[in-house]
Amino acid sequence: MDEPSQNPANDGTQSAPSIKDARSSGESRAVAFGVAGWLLPGLGHALQLMWGRALVVFFAVGLLVYAGASMKGNVFRRQGNDAFDTLGYIADMGTGSFYLFARAIETSGADVSHADGDYGTRLLATAGILNLLAALHAFEAARGHKA
Amino acid sequence: MTAVHSLELNHFQALLLFAVVISVAFGFLGRRRPKDRVKYILWSLFLFLLVGIGVGWAMFPFSR
Repeated sequence: MDEPSQNPANDGTQSAPSIKDARSSGESRAVAFGVAGWLLPGLGHALQLMWGRALVVFFAVGLLVYAGASMKGNVFRRQGNDAFDTLGYIADMGTGSFYLFARAIETSGADVSHADGDYGTRLLATAGILNLLAALHAFEAARGHKA
Repeated sequence: MTAVHSLELNHFQALLLFAVVISVAFGFLGRRRPKDRVKYILWSLFLFLLVGIGVGWAMFPFSR
């Protein structure tokens, strides 16, 4: 009767770490793509050569940030007065480096006394959430999930 | 001191901007084939506008 293996334990110990290492490396790479996508909208997809998605995310987030800040929407700061300000800050920070772009455009501060400013605030928050969604998409795509 | 850039949109223009940008982004992120993307974008845009205008009309009696 043939024995299945001279030393099955060795086979297990030889293959398991390499699979584990590869999986760990893939996860790290996926996280790096996700973070890159958050920092610069579209970069997470661009690094995976998904050029169409990268361009759309970059211009969509950029356009929303530009429109929101130009309409004098509220670009929230870290020192918020209440929970809504904090939530707004988190949403705005979702745009990554474009947060600084919004701050640079909106030199005279927010004006939410008119509908324009209110819409601008929503557009800025939408840009942040959209970019977080895109970064998550890049992360999932790098992990090999169908996207 | 005034803002360097100033953009003034009416309600519908703001809705249209939001709907177009989000529809295109969702279409590209959610679908792979170009034909599917176009269908998704058009359908999503239509629903955004329909719901936006519908909710606007529904709120009209409370605006006075």
